[in-house]
Amino acid sequence: MKLSEIGDRKTLRRSTGKALQLVLIAALTLEATGLLQYFYSQKGFREAAYGRVATQLQANRNKIMDVVNQAEAAVHNNVSYTRASLERSDSIIRVCWAIVRENPVVMGSTVSLVPGYLKDNPLYAPYVYNDADNNMIAVSLATPEYDYPSKEWFTMPLETGKGYWSEPYIDEGISDEIMTTYSVPVKDKDGNVAAVLTADIYLDWLAAMVGEIEMYPSAFYMIVSRQGRVMVSSDKSLIMRKTLDEIIEDLDDAESFAPLNRAMLEGKSGNMAIEVQGDKCQAYFAPVERTGWSMSIVIPENEIYKDLRRGGLITIILQIIGLAMLVIILRSFIRGQLKVRELDQKHERIESELHIASSIQMSMVPKEFPPFPDRKDLDIAAAIYPAKEVGGDLYDYFIRDERLFFCVGDVSGKGVPASLVMAVTRTSFRNMSAHVSSPGRIVSAMNDSVTSMNESSMFVTLFCGVLDLAKGVLRYCNAGHNPPMILTDSIRTLPVESNLPLGIVSGFEYAEQEVRFNFDDAVFLYTDGISEAENANHEQFGEERMTEALRGWKSAAEHLDNIKQRVSDFVGDAPQSDDITALFIHYMPVKHSITLKNDINQISLLPDFIHQTIMESKLDPELEGSLNLAIEEAVTNVISYAYPEGTEGTVVIDSDVGHSAVTFIISDSGIAFDPTARAEVDITAGVDERPIGGLGIHLVRHIMDQVRYERIGDRNVLILTKKY
Amino acid sequence: MEVKIERENAQVIVHLIGRLDTPASLEIAPQMNELTEAAGGTIVLDCSQLEYISSSGLRIFLSLRKAAGEKGGKVIVRSITNDIRNVFMMTGFLNLFEIQ
Repeated sequence: MKLSEIGDRKTLRRSTGKALQLVLIAALTLEATGLLQYFYSQKGFREAAYGRVATQLQANRNKIMDVVNQAEAAVHNNVSYTRASLERSDSIIRVCWAIVRENPVVMGSTVSLVPGYLKDNPLYAPYVYNDADNNMIAVSLATPEYDYPSKEWFTMPLETGKGYWSEPYIDEGISDEIMTTYSVPVKDKDGNVAAVLTADIYLDWLAAMVGEIEMYPSAFYMIVSRQGRVMVSSDKSLIMRKTLDEIIEDLDDAESFAPLNRAMLEGKSGNMAIEVQGDKCQAYFAPVERTGWSMSIVIPENEIYKDLRRGGLITIILQIIGLAMLVIILRSFIRGQLKVRELDQKHERIESELHIASSIQMSMVPKEFPPFPDRKDLDIAAAIYPAKEVGGDLYDYFIRDERLFFCVGDVSGKGVPASLVMAVTRTSFRNMSAHVSSPGRIVSAMNDSVTSMNESSMFVTLFCGVLDLAKGVLRYCNAGHNPPMILTDSIRTLPVESNLPLGIVSGFEYAEQEVRFNFDDAVFLYTDGISEAENANHEQFGEERMTEALRGWKSAAEHLDNIKQRVSDFVGDAPQSDDITALFIHYMPVKHSITLKNDINQISLLPDFIHQTIMESKLDPELEGSLNLAIEEAVTNVISYAYPEGTEGTVVIDSDVGHSAVTFIISDSGIAFDPTARAEVDITAGVDERPIGGLGIHLVRHIMDQVRYERIGDRNVLILTKKY
Repeated sequence: MEVKIERENAQVIVHLIGRLDTPASLEIAPQMNELTEAAGGTIVLDCSQLEYISSSGLRIFLSLRKAAGEKGGKVIVRSITNDIRNVFMMTGFLNLFEIQ
């Protein structure tokens, strides 16, 4: 063995040690961020679940209160009528008839007199109800078997002097449905308590609400009465059979249920964590005021975090693959290094590390263009042109729920650490925007996670946007990044709050802004690698040259090539000092569309359609009538001439609101018919010479700025343009 | 779309109320055709409540005007809104009718 070979081995060992150290640091950083991310996201998911459930409970409560209010109003509105009827006992029953007849929610009603109030008739309680066939039946409750003075609905209002909702009960023998009764005490004109007036309502509609808690399939849902009796539940076997206390008796882990039951019986609202047969669950509860009822929904945490856990698993697998690749690449690099000892070893190592970091980083950004080939409303192009030394530039975008989430960022440092921070930032962007739609909240959460692991004092400037593709509203948040350029009828800088870069102050609340996007608008995001690109004379490319380079673009990809060309022409032979990153988003939705049958009566659908289009354009609203006229004439022509009598077909009208004009595209699949080929009418002709027809197309020409006909395939296409 | 016809002295006054678009024109055409019988006299088309008119509505006006020309009668268009005046201007109708 030669001496030099021993030296090689030592170098190899030393290098391998360093490489392992690097991999270990990367692994620790990634895992730590992953955990933090998971923790933050979990909170988000829990809050989202709480929001959904609270909305559901509120909606259910509103439905219940609607019926409760109707029933209470029916009773309260008849108190004075009842008082008056006490003067003549044979008119008392008329109150019952009236309540049941006038109030569809009320199934039965009684005026039951306090025992002994009538001298000749110690017990008197007429009752009127709707039977199964909806006939009104009158009976007396004053029977020894029923003993109405002992019933809860009768005693409670007398005791408290107030209206009272009874415990739910089964309407045995009549409908066999669950019922409840609202009763109030009635005083006679001398102020003596004389009777109790009631309204019975069915609760069958309550059960239908259960089916609406669909978002969590294994959720457990329950509405209980004041005394804890189950009125509605996703477990049907409990309904009217069990109370909360009895349910607990049947369970092994009664203790974990006790706080929920207590909270429900005390009419509280909120949420708490409980354990059901070993599974952690979140329980949400809210009271229904006045009735004393309480609702609850119990959802297993497994279900709340289902998506999050799956995402977490995928992230871990990807990280492991990434680290494994890093190890393999480093190993082959170290082995290769020995063969090129004649080169400056130190320099070579840095270059290679940076190259590895760069390729890992580049593998993270989306690189397929066009990214959404099925979408006609978006044209996106993006690129990173790395400098020789790697910085930490990044862009990313994806679509969720008809919203385009995108960002461009730049890490302050350079080299491997910067690209690791960038990787963390990108993962954080993806994780947060997977369930949060507000850019301000996404950026605030990203800041917290970058700050918490930022021991090397690096910071990240970032612009994050969320474009609502249906409404054309761009909400955005800028964390100390260069403001993007916005391309509408003019090219200008988007006004931004500069806020702070990510990684500086934990808990900073990032302000969010909004701008409207119209048809044909575009936004250009970039890093300072473009604006601060320097030529040999140390002049910077600058915003002015950039604005100039943005003019006259066609597609997003062409545009990007153009910018790159301009920058490299400007820089000339000077070395590229920083990464150049650009993201170009061109928005061109078909705003509105309406399809009419070839029936002249369908013309009446046009005014609304035109109104909507005008409201979104910069046209004078006073033009609405004349635009309506032009479109009506054009469509009437199609219906009358393109479709011969007896044939069926459609006319499609699309409207595009652009930044300098509104365009209406009227197309149909009828026989070829070119309305613009018709001769002009002579509008100066006298009455006798005037032909009856031909005015329609004349009006269209007169009102619109441009009228163009094309036969495309087997369709007639008429393009009408009105400029601003 | 609503049409109210009043006879006052020798005049027939026609109140046109609402939107006279293509479907509405088809709907009121029979009623308006009957008016050609009175075209020997004076027909006043009161447009104070006419919100909108399309070419099929203009045709009805023109047919009536032609009938009046043949029978030696007169068609007066009364109280048109700016929108409708605009349409009359674009089609040269301002010259064909007596506008009050």
